[in-house]
Amino acid sequence: MLKRPPTPVSMTLNLAPMVDVMMCLIIFFLLASKLADHAPVALPWAVAAKTVKPGEITNPVTITVRPARDGGDRAEYLVKSWDGRKVTEQALQPRDIEQLLQAHAARATRDGQPLRCVIRADRAVRYRHVEVVLRACGLARIASVVFQANQGVEAGSGP
Amino acid sequence: MRHRLAPAAEFVPNLAPMVDVIMVLLVFFLLGASLNLVEQGVLQTELDPGSGPGAGARVEIKPRIAIALQDRRDGAAANIYVVDQEIGENRFDALTAYLRDRVRAGADRENPVVIGAETEVRWQFVISAMDAAVQAGFRNIQFAVSMRPRGD
Repeated sequence: MLKRPPTPVSMTLNLAPMVDVMMCLIIFFLLASKLADHAPVALPWAVAAKTVKPGEITNPVTITVRPARDGGDRAEYLVKSWDGRKVTEQALQPRDIEQLLQAHAARATRDGQPLRCVIRADRAVRYRHVEVVLRACGLARIASVVFQANQGVEAGSGP
Repeated sequence: MRHRLAPAAEFVPNLAPMVDVIMVLLVFFLLGASLNLVEQGVLQTELDPGSGPGAGARVEIKPRIAIALQDRRDGAAANIYVVDQEIGENRFDALTAYLRDRVRAGADRENPVVIGAETEVRWQFVISAMDAAVQAGFRNIQFAVSMRPRGD
């Protein structure tokens, strides 16, 4: 007596566990990360640094100071600002920072909103690089200056 | 003759498109996001608009506490001085203790603390000096800047 061959069964991978794992990864990245909205900078460490909520610092102009990518002892300055319509980021020369801050300060005075200068400086840059921004703040009569830092103490400390 | 019923086929949804989409999302977050494992904060200060390079007239500032940072070993360390008293190399804990002693001795927390650093001092050390002053309770922290712009 001839037996009929068994009907072929389509073989499919069980993808459900894989989907579970990937969903967990996505949720992890959604919660534990934020979209990079600034140029990467190794901020200095400070124990007394206070956490601020987004939008708590009103009318800011953010200046990033980081070592130049060519590896020399120069710094590059990236300025991110909100002009009321759009966010702009541009690389500036040190001599241009004074003009930019003075323009922002004049606009802030017109609008009746005090300007705040947020300085995001890499911990490895020299003081003379940040001094350029501090001097420009003085020339633009900007009193409120905010320095960004990582909270806590770096393991092993030192730049 | 009785026919045996064919076994009911198991209904399996096709998950492949969903996996595709999730993989794209995963790669997007992996590449476009930076992990926020370190809590970031800010140190705020109010500079004196009546002094510094922007003022029309120079004013003489007599700071109660002046912190000076001297570069050592090409940026590897900073030597700390407070009111001409040497604290030591990278001894920011000692600086905090010294400033706390000054507060306990009656120094007004509103008195200006002026941080002056040599141009080659790393920014980390300047922030550490400011951090020490803030931890000691001082609220009015100023920075000494040179008047003449330096070429960068």
